[in-house]
Amino acid sequence: MSSLALSAPAPLRRVLGEPRVVIGVGLLLLLIALAVFAPWLAPHAPNEQDLLNTVLPPAWAPGGDRSFPLGTDALGQCILSRLIYSTRVTVIIALTAPLGAALLGCTLALIAGYRGGRIEWAILRMVDLWMSFPAIVLALVLMVALSPGLLNVIVAIILVDWTRFCRVIRADVVVLRRKDYVAAARITGASHWQVVMKDIVPGILPTLISLISLEMGISVVAESILSFVGMSVEPNVPTWGVMIADGLKSVFSSPWGLIAPVGCTVLTVLATTCLGDGLRRTTDPRLFNRSGT
Amino acid sequence: MLTSPALSTPASPGRLNAIAGRSLAAMPTVWRILWRVPMLLALAALVFFVLRVLPADPMGMLLPPSATPADVKALTEALGLDKPIPVQFGIWLGNALHGDLGRTLTSGLQVTPLILKALPTTLQLIACGLLLGMVFGIGGGLLAFRYRGTRIERAVEVVNSISISVPEFLWAILLILGVGIGLKLLPFLGQLDAGLTVPNVTGFLLVDAVVAGDFAALWSALKHLALPAFALSLGIAPPLMRILHSSLLDAYTEDYVSAARLRGLSENRILVRHALKNAALPTVSMLGIQASTVIGGTLLIETIFGFPGIGSLMVNAIGAHDLPMIQGLALTYAVAVQAVNMVTDAVLLLLNPRLRTP
Repeated sequence: MSSLALSAPAPLRRVLGEPRVVIGVGLLLLLIALAVFAPWLAPHAPNEQDLLNTVLPPAWAPGGDRSFPLGTDALGQCILSRLIYSTRVTVIIALTAPLGAALLGCTLALIAGYRGGRIEWAILRMVDLWMSFPAIVLALVLMVALSPGLLNVIVAIILVDWTRFCRVIRADVVVLRRKDYVAAARITGASHWQVVMKDIVPGILPTLISLISLEMGISVVAESILSFVGMSVEPNVPTWGVMIADGLKSVFSSPWGLIAPVGCTVLTVLATTCLGDGLRRTTDPRLFNRSGT
Repeated sequence: MLTSPALSTPASPGRLNAIAGRSLAAMPTVWRILWRVPMLLALAALVFFVLRVLPADPMGMLLPPSATPADVKALTEALGLDKPIPVQFGIWLGNALHGDLGRTLTSGLQVTPLILKALPTTLQLIACGLLLGMVFGIGGGLLAFRYRGTRIERAVEVVNSISISVPEFLWAILLILGVGIGLKLLPFLGQLDAGLTVPNVTGFLLVDAVVAGDFAALWSALKHLALPAFALSLGIAPPLMRILHSSLLDAYTEDYVSAARLRGLSENRILVRHALKNAALPTVSMLGIQASTVIGGTLLIETIFGFPGIGSLMVNAIGAHDLPMIQGLALTYAVAVQAVNMVTDAVLLLLNPRLRTP
């Protein structure tokens, strides 16, 4: 408990003092910087084909060309440039899809957990329904119906992944609703809306924040999977998933076309896991108590 | 999306237990089994409506740009698209109940036989992945528990965290890069070496190879199955290991363990006969919860490793906008998940006498 009392006045300092958070945020900021400055950083345009120089090895390997630092793919496109431009889709997905899923999931969770009764039953059955269907199959079906495009990918991820938020947050809301301070607020005349916003939402924030950061990694992988099977953004937009699919086809002639995008995806996922873990350790009061005793 | 729902939950192991055990206490078993029927209907309806209502121009999706109005009319009538959508769903469902899922748009073949032909490959992959996943998960859980407080427990937990944080889609490709291309230890494309064929009897390649007595083919099939099954098991094992470990820790705080110890039973006997029997319950529930993740996982694993299962069928059907095929396969996936859940329900019923009272 003492750690809570000491650090509570400076929650931000506590969060930033956690190395996991620093590593996670650092890597994600790097990703955003790559996406923003892609035209200046990439040596070539992402779809520029050099058909005389296909499947080149990286620059340091024998036969490599210095103007293609990571080599080229089967169409003679610069792997490094495509890797850098791909961060644009990744960053947009990572910043929007988790927020959308959180908004939808939390709204339903608050309604279910706070109101209870039949509406809770209906929402919970919907969560059961969603969870008993493979997420990837649902996402693919949605993408067939919605047709390719960045916005549709985001919509599909939101419509598939809201249950992650709804399930966990509802459990929290049910606990919070029974707290004495909620009853006290009601007695002093606060409306339901005020109680939810002032007394319940702050209580779910620690869980919500770490869920969102985990969902960032999940949605990046989801997009990459949809790209991999050719069901994501328009075909001329480079993404890591498309690069993985292309790289797998020519893996014997140039393994770097596969290693580079897989490495980037794994690193991004690890960064978000790290961030989520760090945020949970530093923002969830239940965990302070446990480490304190 | 890939990881099990429980993985994304930033929760203590105790809370994982609570989530896994939630449905158990809530409903009597018979109801939980009957409940799966309306669930399946709702899932079938969901997929049907998504595919029929969401597209702005379903005809444009199904036909090439050069199609004439006559083509559009013919296809509309052939698919029954001129009828109201609930009626369309009723017709489709009625046929589906008789095993008729319609004909594919690309080849005009019946959908049902195509799915049945591909299904054994997928089921074999699921079975091998589950087996490996359970061996790793239960083995890891027991190992970590038996050597609790030592470096072995730490090591198991580190391995667990690493395998949990990378989804199996990426594991599959990392395995191809590492084991398949780097070390050249195992093949990673198709089900058999080139030049080998096995007569199709059951559709399950391993079984067929044994039936034919062709052990070269069996060995080749096993080698080809190793990486895909391992990739699949990496998604199954970590949550199993975690929940078994924490359930064992919970079980050891119970009086019956102290009582068994006072009766002079050996530690191994207490672990296997008393604690494990109780800790098995949340572990089996967890397997049921993971069913949809595991079955969805096969779709990607099949695509990556070039296995001709229903996942490959699905990816091709999606690429070709083959609606009858997509609907049929989506139903197959939903049935598969519900079937696994029914099996886990039945196992729970066998293991836990407390559930048998209605």
